[in-house]
This record gives sequence, C-alpha cells and structure tokens, in this order.
Amino acid sequence: MQIWGIILSPLLALVVGIFFLGLSRKIMARIHWRYGPPITQPVIDIIKLFSQKSISHGTIFDLGLILSLAGSFVVILFLPLGQMCPLSSGGLLAILYLMLLAPLGIALSSGEAANPNSSIGISRKFLLALGYEVPLLFILLAVMTHYNTISLVEIVRIQSTTGWSFGSLPLLLSGIAYFLILPAILGIRPFEIAGAGQEISSGANAEFGGKFLAFSTIQHALHEFIGISLFVNLFLGGWSLFGILEPITNTVWGVILGIIVFLIKMLIVFILGLFINAVFPRFRIEQAIKYLWKWPTLFAFIGLIVVVLVK
Amino acid sequence: MDRNQLKKWFESPAKMGHKYSLHVVYFCTGCGIIEIPPSITARWDAERFGVIPVATPRQANLFLITGYVSVKTLKAVIRTYEQMPEPKFTVGFGSCPINGGMYWDSYNTIKHLDKYIPIDGWIAGCMPRPEAIFIAVTHLWTLIDKEMADGYKKYKENYRYYRANQEQLYGKLDWPPLFSEEDKK
Repeated sequence: MQIWGIILSPLLALVVGIFFLGLSRKIMARIHWRYGPPITQPVIDIIKLFSQKSISHGTIFDLGLILSLAGSFVVILFLPLGQMCPLSSGGLLAILYLMLLAPLGIALSSGEAANPNSSIGISRKFLLALGYEVPLLFILLAVMTHYNTISLVEIVRIQSTTGWSFGSLPLLLSGIAYFLILPAILGIRPFEIAGAGQEISSGANAEFGGKFLAFSTIQHALHEFIGISLFVNLFLGGWSLFGILEPITNTVWGVILGIIVFLIKMLIVFILGLFINAVFPRFRIEQAIKYLWKWPTLFAFIGLIVVVLVK
Repeated sequence: MDRNQLKKWFESPAKMGHKYSLHVVYFCTGCGIIEIPPSITARWDAERFGVIPVATPRQANLFLITGYVSVKTLKAVIRTYEQMPEPKFTVGFGSCPINGGMYWDSYNTIKHLDKYIPIDGWIAGCMPRPEAIFIAVTHLWTLIDKEMADGYKKYKENYRYYRANQEQLYGKLDWPPLFSEEDKK
C-alpha cells in the first residue's frame, strides 16, 4: 500500500499541477475576454522544450534544478492526498524544512549561470520567502497548538470528526492569514515579483532554455500543488466532506472518493487565487514585504494568541 | 487546424510541439513593434495560436524582427539569434528588413537582413496589420510541417558566408564564431 502511495502521489501531483497551469491560462484568457490557448498548452510547451537543443552553464546548473525537482517531489510524499499519505513521520516540521529545498535548488542553478537578471530574481524570491515565512510560522504554530500534534495526517483526521478548522472559531484568523499569504507562496500577482517578465526578464528563469525550462515549468507546477494542498489539508479538512465519506473510510472507494473531494477543494481554492491574480497589478518588493509583515502577520499573531487563550 | 489529429502527434511529437508552441522574442527595433501589443492582448489574442511572448532569447524559438534594423541594432539582433536554442525560426516584419523600405538610401540601416541572419519568412507591408502575423504563423506551421523552415540549418552550413557579411560591416566582431569548422561536419 505504501509503495503504491509513493509511486502514485507524485504522479498525480504532476498531472494535477500541469492541468492547473493549463487551466490558469485558459481562465485568465476568459477573464480578459479572449479565446485563450487550449487547456493542453503546457503539455505542448513541455514536449517542445524537451525536444529543443539546450545549453548548460556547468555542473551546478544541472544539479541545482534536479535538487529543486527532487525537493518538490519529497514534499509531496509528506502531504496527505486524500487519505493517502506515503510518508507521515515528522509531519509539519519536516514539510517546513523540505519546502526550502526547491527555491534553494533554483537559486544554485541560476547562480551558476551568472545572469544579472537571475541574481535579482533569486534575491527577490528569498526576500519574498522571508516575508511570508513569518506569518506561515505563526499559522502553523497556531494549528499545531490547537490540535496538540505536529502530524498533518492526525490534523486531517481530527478535522474529519470535529469539522473543518476554517469553520472553527479559534483557527478562523489563522485561516484568513494563510489565504492572504497564499498568492505570495504561489508566486502569482500581486506577488509576481520574483519571476516578473517585464522587469527582470523572468528572473531566475532567464538563462533556462530547452529541457531546463521544461524542468523549471514542472517544478513550478509542483510548487503550486504543494502550496494549495497544504492550505486544503490544514484548513479545509483534507478529504472530509461534512461526514458523508465517514462510513467508507479506509476502503478502496473511500480512498478514491477522498482524493476526488480533495482535488475539487484544491480546484476551488486555485480558481479563487486566479481571480486575485487577474485583477491586481504587481507589488514592488518593499510594498510586498510591508504588506506581508503587516496584515497577515497581525492576523496570524492574534490567531495564535486566541488559540493559546482558548486552550 | 490539425491540432487534434492524434496520429500526427504520435508520429512526430517534437515537430507538432514546435508548431503549436511558438515562444516569441520580439525585437523592438522600429515602428513595427506598435502592432505587437494589440496582437498579443485581448483584441487579437495570439495565445490561441500557442504564440506567447517570452522575455529572454534562451526561452524562445521564434524571432520576430519588427521594423528597420540599423547597423548598431544588427549586432544585438545577431547575438540574440545566436543565443536562441535550436530549432529556431525567424520572421521579418514589415518592408524595412526585406529591402530597406523607406530607408532604402539611408547610410545607417542595413537593406537586406537575410544577408546577416537566415530568415524563414517575411511579412510584407508598411505596416502589416496584426492579422498578418497570424497568417504568417499559419504559413510557418505549413513550412515546419514540410521541414522547409530550416533557416537554422542553413546558418550552420553557410556560417562562413554569414560571418563574412557580418565582419564586412563591423570589422572584427568581439565574440568568437558560433560554429567551428568541426561542427559543420
């Protein structure tokens, strides 16, 4: 069973992440009143990129991208996908540490290329990470204190019996704070500063061409999957659906239906994020840090205090 | 459109990928660039053809040179073209890159762009409308399908000719040749 999970969950994350990329381009086009590309456009792009002749800038250039891809895949193994969670030891603490591997790999890789635009992109990426990690830590601390566990599987299981934590009063503020920093985690507008095409020639991606860009696109898809599925697991109850799936827990149909419910919740959160992406312009870096350290941090901190007081 | 023909996809996925995913680097030389914003945004929507602007030549496979090319810009055009990963396609936009256009007697613009880099197709007109870009894209699909868009191969085969033309204009170029003699064999 665990072996199947280890094989299936990264594959599912890959397919869903790339599907989300295609969907985002189509929905953005429809919001602009355009016809838009076919939903399979990212797949066509990736096929093309793999068939191109690409230029490497050195060993670290190759290895850094592989590190970031591997980091993303490992984080996915730690995230419960419905009722399926291949690796559960370590819980949220392991996820917090492993989430740093992906940007680190990209930074190593683009640093080797020595393009000034990629250096600016990397520095912006880490500054943005500094911005959203502070509220994220407060949020995770609040959730861990409230449920008295660091295990994400346990948190999802408790939510399936007591209701979603977004609906429970003590964790409401933390949930709002996570939703406020979600665009920064996903790197969409108004926090598109790290990969801004018009300002810094797509930032860290500036020297990637051919198969390197394909790997970078895949990593981006996985990163979006991780950000949204962490939100769904922490606050929207993972696979639980108002107790409807409760009687068939731990059967095959329960697992499959659990994954479907989980993906539908992810889709809803993702489309909400796309609406934010469609209407906002891009922040400057200091505006982004100012925003992230003001409202989400405030909400997350008050949420933490509320959780501690209620307990 | 044969986007949905599965047989072609299984026969040569790479060729179909090159056809339907054209990442363009627009070279904003002259007035032609004014036709690009309407063509990539809501009015004409180039993205439904799979055409999307990218920021750096490393990510691109279609090079659109919009407008006259002065002697100084040609240097940047050549360097951009050489940085793009193969297979790469070039399209000259407007009459100026074709034969000089209204700058036919200018001392400071080049008259025939295809003496310096290979061009796969031209869009004639002064200015061509944005629809002309889409007609060019569909023509380029046909060319890629028949393997006639082989400018990058010609550049490799006749590199000495192109390099000689470039050096005739600038004297000595400050970057090494892209292909050595061994590469061509």
